[in-house]
Amino acid sequence: MNTPSSANQSGALYWPVQLRRNVGVRSLFAVVLVFLVAYGILFPGLFTAAGFAKFTQSWFPLALVAMAQAILMLSGGISLAIGATVSLGAVIAATTMAGPLGVAGGTAAVALTGLGIGATTGFIVVRLRLPAIVVTLAGSFIIGGAALLILPRPGGAIPAWLSDLLAGNTPAAFALLLLIVALWKLYLATPLGLSLYAAGENPVGAYRSGVPVDGARIAAYAISGLLSTGAGLFVAAQTGSGDPVIGAAFTLNSIAAAVLGGIGFLGGQGTMRGALAGSLLLSLMISVMFFLGFTPVAQYVAQGLIIIGAVAVPQFRKVQQ
Amino acid sequence: MQITAPLLAARGVSKSFFGNPVLRDVSIALQPGRVHALLGENGAGKSTLINLLSGALRPDSGTIEVDGRAVSRMTPAIARQAGIAVVQQELSLTASLSIAENIGLGAYPRRFGLVDYPELAARAKAACDLVGLHEPLSTPVGHLSLGRRQMVEIAKALYRRPRVLILDEPTSSLSATETKILTDLLKRLRGEGIAILYISHRLNEVMSLCQHVTVLKDGTCTADRTLEGTDAAGLVRLMVGRDPGDLFPRWQPSASPANAISVRNFSAGLMRDVDLDIRTGEVLGIGGLVGQGQEDLLLGLYGAIPARTASATVNGASGLPGGVPKANALGLAYVPADRKREGLHLIHPIITNMMLPAFARVPALKLRSRRAEREIARGLAAQLGIKGDLDRSAQALSGGNQQKVALAKWMPHDPLVLLLNDPTRGVDVETKREIYHMLRNFAAAGKAIVLLSSDTPELVHLCDRVAVVREGRIVAMLARGALSEEAIVSAAMGAGQRKVAA
Repeated sequence: MNTPSSANQSGALYWPVQLRRNVGVRSLFAVVLVFLVAYGILFPGLFTAAGFAKFTQSWFPLALVAMAQAILMLSGGISLAIGATVSLGAVIAATTMAGPLGVAGGTAAVALTGLGIGATTGFIVVRLRLPAIVVTLAGSFIIGGAALLILPRPGGAIPAWLSDLLAGNTPAAFALLLLIVALWKLYLATPLGLSLYAAGENPVGAYRSGVPVDGARIAAYAISGLLSTGAGLFVAAQTGSGDPVIGAAFTLNSIAAAVLGGIGFLGGQGTMRGALAGSLLLSLMISVMFFLGFTPVAQYVAQGLIIIGAVAVPQFRKVQQ
Repeated sequence: MQITAPLLAARGVSKSFFGNPVLRDVSIALQPGRVHALLGENGAGKSTLINLLSGALRPDSGTIEVDGRAVSRMTPAIARQAGIAVVQQELSLTASLSIAENIGLGAYPRRFGLVDYPELAARAKAACDLVGLHEPLSTPVGHLSLGRRQMVEIAKALYRRPRVLILDEPTSSLSATETKILTDLLKRLRGEGIAILYISHRLNEVMSLCQHVTVLKDGTCTADRTLEGTDAAGLVRLMVGRDPGDLFPRWQPSASPANAISVRNFSAGLMRDVDLDIRTGEVLGIGGLVGQGQEDLLLGLYGAIPARTASATVNGASGLPGGVPKANALGLAYVPADRKREGLHLIHPIITNMMLPAFARVPALKLRSRRAEREIARGLAAQLGIKGDLDRSAQALSGGNQQKVALAKWMPHDPLVLLLNDPTRGVDVETKREIYHMLRNFAAAGKAIVLLSSDTPELVHLCDRVAVVREGRIVAMLARGALSEEAIVSAAMGAGQRKVAA
């Protein structure tokens, strides 16, 4: 234990810290790799430009909502309104982009809505000290209702060129995901971003250390809202129109992906890379089971069993130690 | 005599919670270059005073002064700016962040708005070197033992280069070596002109380290004087406000040759191949450095963790209990060290806590008799001297009284063997004394007491025999005649000849 390794520790700190964060998710990465290989064998088209584009496009919205959920769970919260927020993002995109606001204005509207919804939810949860699960459950009704008010039935339009760019045969979705991951790393390298872990795991200790705990948590909600409406915009681009209930499945899938990725419910436990790998695994599982000819019911059952297994395996390993 | 203004002072502060006065007209002045001890029983108001000094609470009346100037609205932020650092009993660490990220938390060096990792590494390393932390700075704090985490917490306070350092029972989870490093460090910081406020229940530490002492009793200041010319007994007198007599009851042999528990080649958790006989009517001490497997020994005997053994006899039955209900049926009772999490159900009433083991024994669907429960609970409260309304939640009690409730709940079942895990940790002197008397009386009544303790004097003065555990083995079994603090500590350190300076 007491090996004096002062020579190699005085230098770089950032990269060793980043590497350490892999420790908990290595086995998950291995499982994802196995599924990727299986998928590649079942569907060799994955390695063509079009196949890769289609696959990353099917993964992309799930990756965004997994991040949106993970950032909340890391801060000690949770959201049941992610699906509704995705729907609202899709509806706003479909009703603004073809109109006078244009794509830029529509994108800004989607982003501001997401930030606003997130910040408001965060303010209510954090400042009024109400339970996140109740506030976001209520929020899901309000936000879902707002989406239905704006667009009572599927409709609206997304400019064709935007749909082609985001959901055509280009790796634009994958490039966007890389950009978002890079921005996340940047955020996590700021004092506020890094404080998220402390605010989630030990809020009292963090407060005593001078961390703006409330600010860090409200920021997490705002970012989560932004990611959710962003996913909505992408889904609208995929379908070319808006659907006020299209996001419904994302609420529970975002939790499933985060849990698969090793994010704990108690705050401060887990990593974003884990959540992303979890969303990729979920996405791959659905595709692989589809190719293997599972019926939809069997897919759901298998998905549920795998999620329980993902939570149980690390637990058993801990007990054995 | 002192011409310099105190770095931090409270002048005549009072504070009440819900109408209950916790502090009444208390003054304290922290001078540079002095280690100031703050003593008092649990519930005397020490934590409240710290919270006032660090800005976490605001006094109802009186003032807090920094450098001789009154601060009208002290906040944690102002305290930090004034160079006041507090090492609280409850750690402020985040398990998933690295040592360095924890140390810098709340005060990261920045470059272009980002955390400046090279600068953080350099400054965290300097702080770690001071407290003897040599683990790589990228190690997540969750991988460290409790004692090492405490050292990280202290390094975190030093990282901010404080002028005033407040330490609330910093040594409660430290090993002897770590305690030594800390006391040496505090002496050096004192020499550098830092004002240190030191809170500890270990009087020998206070005697060797501090120059000045403030004693609180029931929210009032009973002494504010230099430590010169006082001894431990004098300090205890100041705290309890009367002569404590002997902290420990007079030792009288009560052990019988009969074994309550006898195990051979016992292994559980960290413990390996232990042979142990526990006699009825004796207090058997379990000593050693923190975390050598002592707790696993108790939990294994109690059936709370898996254990293996070549042969075992427990109160006449052969074989280990293997589970808690079976252990209870065989007359074993266990009182955990962490009374807040394991010993009690804090939000539930005191009476419910006392009745819990009884609930486990009656048929699950039998109707309860509230009247009988209340009678039993009243009897227990009287027997153990638990004050207060039994319908209040257990968290309203002071640490000492909580410990008594954790002990009391087993009494109706008249256990033959009491397994006690550090029952006096964080307990005030008066309650300690009551517990010591109780334990000796239990032994005299023919019970076997197994006392795991981190407090060496209590092992020496209370026990018939002491088993010293080191690296999962019993390395010494010291009989009454051979008991001394030196003997226990040197066996615990694994060096018969090496002695640890106080």
